[in-house]
Amino acid sequence: MIDLFNEILATLRFNKLRTALTGFAVSWGIFLLIVLLAVSNGLVNGVTGMFSQRDKEVMSITGGWAQKPYKGLKDERSITLKESDTELLESRNGNIVAYAVPELSNDSVVISTQKDYLTGGYKGVYPQSQRSDGTTMEEGRYINDNDIEQGRRVIVLHRENANTLFGVGEPAVGKFVRVGDLSFTVVGIYFHEWMRSSIIPYTTAKALAGGSENIRRMQVKAKGLSTVEDANEAENEFRSTLGNVHSFDPTDDSALWIWNRFRDFATTNTALSTLTLAVWIIGLLTLLSGIVGVSNIMFVSVRERTHEIGVRRAIGARPVAILRQIILESVAITTLFGYVGIVLGVIVTQLIAHFTLSPGPQGHPPIFKDPSVDLSIALQVTVVLVITGCLAGLFPALKSLKIKPVEALRDE
Amino acid sequence: MNDHKYIIDLHDINKSYPGVVPLHVLKDVSLGIEKGELVSIMGASGSGKSTLLNILGILDNYDSGEYHLDGVLIKNLSENRAADLRNYMIGFVFQSFNLIGYKNALDNVALPLFYRGISRKKRNALAMEQLERMGMADRATHLPSELSGGQKQRVAIARALITNPSILLADEPTGALDSHTSREVMQVFRDLNAEGRTIVIVTHDPAVGEQTNRIIRISDGRIVE
Repeated sequence: MIDLFNEILATLRFNKLRTALTGFAVSWGIFLLIVLLAVSNGLVNGVTGMFSQRDKEVMSITGGWAQKPYKGLKDERSITLKESDTELLESRNGNIVAYAVPELSNDSVVISTQKDYLTGGYKGVYPQSQRSDGTTMEEGRYINDNDIEQGRRVIVLHRENANTLFGVGEPAVGKFVRVGDLSFTVVGIYFHEWMRSSIIPYTTAKALAGGSENIRRMQVKAKGLSTVEDANEAENEFRSTLGNVHSFDPTDDSALWIWNRFRDFATTNTALSTLTLAVWIIGLLTLLSGIVGVSNIMFVSVRERTHEIGVRRAIGARPVAILRQIILESVAITTLFGYVGIVLGVIVTQLIAHFTLSPGPQGHPPIFKDPSVDLSIALQVTVVLVITGCLAGLFPALKSLKIKPVEALRDE
Repeated sequence: MNDHKYIIDLHDINKSYPGVVPLHVLKDVSLGIEKGELVSIMGASGSGKSTLLNILGILDNYDSGEYHLDGVLIKNLSENRAADLRNYMIGFVFQSFNLIGYKNALDNVALPLFYRGISRKKRNALAMEQLERMGMADRATHLPSELSGGQKQRVAIARALITNPSILLADEPTGALDSHTSREVMQVFRDLNAEGRTIVIVTHDPAVGEQTNRIIRISDGRIVE
């Protein structure tokens, strides 16, 4: 093996310039492949990272406007969900519903401290909403079961809102804010990419609303979904169950507004895998030009060395020994320069990560995350290099087989 | 098995090259060369002497007849078998030396053993031994371009001998050398022959032929004496 390697090194050294020129094309192809893969990886990591902190099988159902006449009722009816609808879904559709929790909100209440105030209102939730919204706690805690049971006056604020109300860097947990006329204790600070709601227990919100059974929307966590079809089927069943109670046509899409995260998730996944596929195709096609170059150089090499190969055959080299040498030379050129491309690609990737993707102080949505080349990509690219190297060397090597040992006797 | 007296035993060999008018190059060539002989094959160009050399060296096939080399019938061999037989039984010396330009003398000499799968250490030791015999030990690490014609041919002879072949086949071994160096190289062949080597030299140079023990003349595809 070492001998074979030495043979290859010797021939490559003999053709330095030509080898280097061809090698550049291979390096370039691999470089592009690596950078593209790394960037698309960053995108994939960013997006899947966003999904990972959320329950994927969540659907949020909001009452809408019935547009179709149903059982003698006219169109243009407002549909308002009731708290009891959550229990209904849990019992009627228990096979696909893990839980259903109501949410209330009041958009007009002002939340204030002595320093400043917010006008966004509040949202009354159950503890389950943390996972379905995808909020991450930075300090303190989220709404818990005791808060719900006792209808406590506690509130969880977004980091930015806490900064507004108490000042940047000032402690907020344990302090009081005024919600309308009432005093609430801040129990937690959360972060979310875009949601800024101030969060209080559902039961507290319900009491503030005068005990009304009407709810703004409900968060339903489904179970056993594996395809988009499953998710659509679940949606239809919810429409059918609720249509029965609220008297609307189950096929009336506008009666309920259902936001189906699982479908988003599945669609995004499809899009991401398509992106990765596209990147591979682009990268491999770029690499192709390098491979053609290597093939070309090997053809030239075989032709130039016709006499030498004849001599080798005459002194007893089996055809397969020549074949192996040509193919291994090709693989050596490809992998050597391929690795140069990999190293450069990784360096550039790190630079991209360092300069453009460093998280801002109040993080944008981390759509890019770890745009790095992991070990599996390095392995995949290595496999690609070896295979393409073999392919590039194959035809020149087959041509070399046609060289007869008699060539050794022909004078140069 | 044929007569064991001959190391090279050709019987009614015919060879023609196909074409619009097929060219009948060798016509019923029969030839016996004994072990330990120093023979030259002489003939004008176009006489069929190169074709005969190709067949003797297992570089080419023949159409009919039988060729036994050291008791082995050389006929209809696969490429691999032919390569192995060349490696084990034949040492080639060429007019233009045919050393590999980017390998030093030692590696060139060791090359046939590389194709036998012998370890680097062992083949380098054997190659060094051969270079010493040729008086070339001090040039072991030189590239062929750094050697004179006579030195190159000595390296080439060392390469031919390293496999301890049954016969040494030389094709115009002095064709690229001046007369002084030619004599030296011929002396090397005579010394090897004195040690018992069977050597066949193909040449058109009468001065070379004179220094061998037997001259086989070929003309128009036939052995003439």
